[in-house]
Amino acid sequence: MASTTSFARPSTRPDEIHSLLTGVERYNPQKIGLLEAYLAHQCANPDPATNHDLMANLALLKMYQFNPAMLDLDVVRRVLVKALISSSQGDFNLCLYLLSDDICKDASVAKLLVLRDYLEKAEFDKFWSEMYGDDDDEESVVDGIAGFDSGLRRLILAEVTSTYQTIQAKLVGTMVNLDEEAVLRLAKEHGWSVDAAGVISLPLRAENEAKATVISESVKFEHLTKLLSAANDM
Amino acid sequence: MYQDNYEDEEFAGNIDVVAGTYANIDDTEDGGMDDEEMLLQAQAGAQSIPEPVRKFLGHLHRNVLSSNVNDLAYNYETQFTRLSEKFFAKSAWPDPHYVAALVGDDGLFLTLYRELYYRHIYSRLHPSLETRFRSFENYCDLFNYILNSDGPIELELPNQWLWDIVDEFIYQFQSFCTHRMRVGKRTAEEIELLRDNQQVWSTYGVLNVLYSLIQKSNISQQLAAGQQGGDVVEAAGGFGARPLYKMLGYFSIVGLVRVHCMLGDYTLALQTLENIDLGNSRGLFTRVTACHVTVYYYVGFAYMMMGRYADATQAFAHILTFVMRTRHYHQRSHQFDTVNKKAEQMYALLAVAVSLSPTRVDELIHGHLREKYGDQQHRIQRGGEEAVEVLSDLFLYSCPKFIVPNPPNYDDLEAAAAAMEPQAFQLQVFLREARLQLVVPMLRSFLKLYTTMSLDQLAAVLEIDRAELRNQLMVYKQRCRQVRWTSGPDLLNGEPALATDLDFALQEDMIIIAESRVGRRYADWFIRNANKMQDLIANLETLQKSAATGAGSAKAEGAPADASTVEA
Repeated sequence: MASTTSFARPSTRPDEIHSLLTGVERYNPQKIGLLEAYLAHQCANPDPATNHDLMANLALLKMYQFNPAMLDLDVVRRVLVKALISSSQGDFNLCLYLLSDDICKDASVAKLLVLRDYLEKAEFDKFWSEMYGDDDDEESVVDGIAGFDSGLRRLILAEVTSTYQTIQAKLVGTMVNLDEEAVLRLAKEHGWSVDAAGVISLPLRAENEAKATVISESVKFEHLTKLLSAANDM
Repeated sequence: MYQDNYEDEEFAGNIDVVAGTYANIDDTEDGGMDDEEMLLQAQAGAQSIPEPVRKFLGHLHRNVLSSNVNDLAYNYETQFTRLSEKFFAKSAWPDPHYVAALVGDDGLFLTLYRELYYRHIYSRLHPSLETRFRSFENYCDLFNYILNSDGPIELELPNQWLWDIVDEFIYQFQSFCTHRMRVGKRTAEEIELLRDNQQVWSTYGVLNVLYSLIQKSNISQQLAAGQQGGDVVEAAGGFGARPLYKMLGYFSIVGLVRVHCMLGDYTLALQTLENIDLGNSRGLFTRVTACHVTVYYYVGFAYMMMGRYADATQAFAHILTFVMRTRHYHQRSHQFDTVNKKAEQMYALLAVAVSLSPTRVDELIHGHLREKYGDQQHRIQRGGEEAVEVLSDLFLYSCPKFIVPNPPNYDDLEAAAAAMEPQAFQLQVFLREARLQLVVPMLRSFLKLYTTMSLDQLAAVLEIDRAELRNQLMVYKQRCRQVRWTSGPDLLNGEPALATDLDFALQEDMIIIAESRVGRRYADWFIRNANKMQDLIANLETLQKSAATGAGSAKAEGAPADASTVEA
């Protein structure tokens, strides 16, 4: 597994971007292009382990916050889509905090907010129908993001595997918008066993084990400093 | 000697914040008068200053000249507050022009005096737009002087004063941003003035000052060297070795954290603290109580906005415990009000964090929390729209003042007046997240009652359908995994961890519930009571000693900075 949070430097971040993010150059509007190009790079990369650099994208949104004249709504849209499929749930909101009410009224951004709501409320069926439902131009909201569907499925499956120990294949199907056959293929891929009734047994991990524990106290050395120094005085 | 210097430096700024002249404001406030007349008036004005104040200003001036930090601390923290209370409770301190006559036109002293003068106006009266401009100009003078001299300037001030300068600078910036955004309340002339002077209190200018102070003092390098066991003196360099520069740089880091939070950039706020180890109970931030409390307030708040409630809870509980334990130390200090107000706000924030992500907190804190916000916490737990209302109230009461970094569009006042205030926007985004989080306390209270339960059973109790319950359970699961800081100065980093005592898993339609319990904390109890006992003995011993030496001066309530040693 790669980094566990979105805050550490991803292996794919070039040095140039890294020094930009850690210095005062992050306020230099002339560097907007650099960050935008880096975002384009992230969008073209389908590998979910390395294709999202939240900190760089937040720096980009901050540039827009400071220089509203340079705002590019399509870039904002793509930053949000990247955050939408990020495995860290807080990413999306962190992006929103840097926007404004006006930006949120943009049709694409508003649409993403709706999609995000469904996703966060685990209403996956609604999400998929909103996404690919009625008309064709819907797809434009996530245009130009390599590996969107697979990234999203990965996200939903991660939630399923940490909640369930056993689950109907059909149910998984509606969650990830695949038919039962495809789900069974997926199960095989992951090495999950499926019984005759179509119930998948998911491997037990810390997340879905549900084991009762007793938390015992741990005394840190610092807690004893006062006692020890007093003992020393005697 | 340095007065001359000072005059030279005044406008030679290499910081961009040049604030020499303003369009539409007469440069000389008393325009039209000739020098002699002005001099006479100033002398007459100086005569009108009450005797104790005149004496005080004389002392203050002398102590500034000799950089007598100890006496300055007394002048500043005690006398200034007392005199403000006595003579200037409802008016401004004497006009700086009058004071000039008392101190022989000492430029640096007058800049420091004006800083106090404006600060007093901000805290007691309603600063006019012009006062806001003038105060900004004065800050530019001060920072230009400090930053643009060839060598370190010959001045030392008490930490408390330095902290207050940085803190007030940011406060006035925030106040200005709010002021200019409320275009509906501004007169036409004010709008004109604002439109023509957009460089005043500009966000870039303010950030520039803070970053420049940090850079000049090499404070980041100093802190890094301190952490890695390097040579701090070497890292400090000529400027950074002076307490004035070092502390200004340090406080600017904390100031930046605040500015980033005001702009909604919570990750950058925490990233800014990368060289400051909050785990260090003797860290520089503990030297000034207001700074100590401020750091934790913003760290906790940033965590909360990131959805890291467990980290937020930890930060708030830590500092509130500190405030409680050191209460008697700062009761009489001039930061008491500030500290108290921040503490009150943090109780509200803690109530939010603990309600949304139930965890145990220190018993004492828990008691206070129940007393103050028991009712609100209960209402949040019940969920629904009422919970959202309570959350909004608590949030608005306790959040920092948010700002928009750019001036509004003065050419379209209607639209500018209709724009959503940043306060409301941040609340809205926060509530998006908090609404989801409400599932946690609600479901938890039901799950707690069983060890296994069928989906249908629980759905019936909650009066929702199965599909919805499935979703909610997944939300619960997802919401209970939070990134948690583990150790080290990097506050952003952490490990995803379970932030609840109540976990479950689904076997198809059966909910298997697992509760983790906290074992009894014997060691904690013994440590606490041993410490208490020790304090008691120490107290008795000092009492005995002071009784023996007659009415020995009760030194126990010394400087508030001592308070930090009590915490452990």
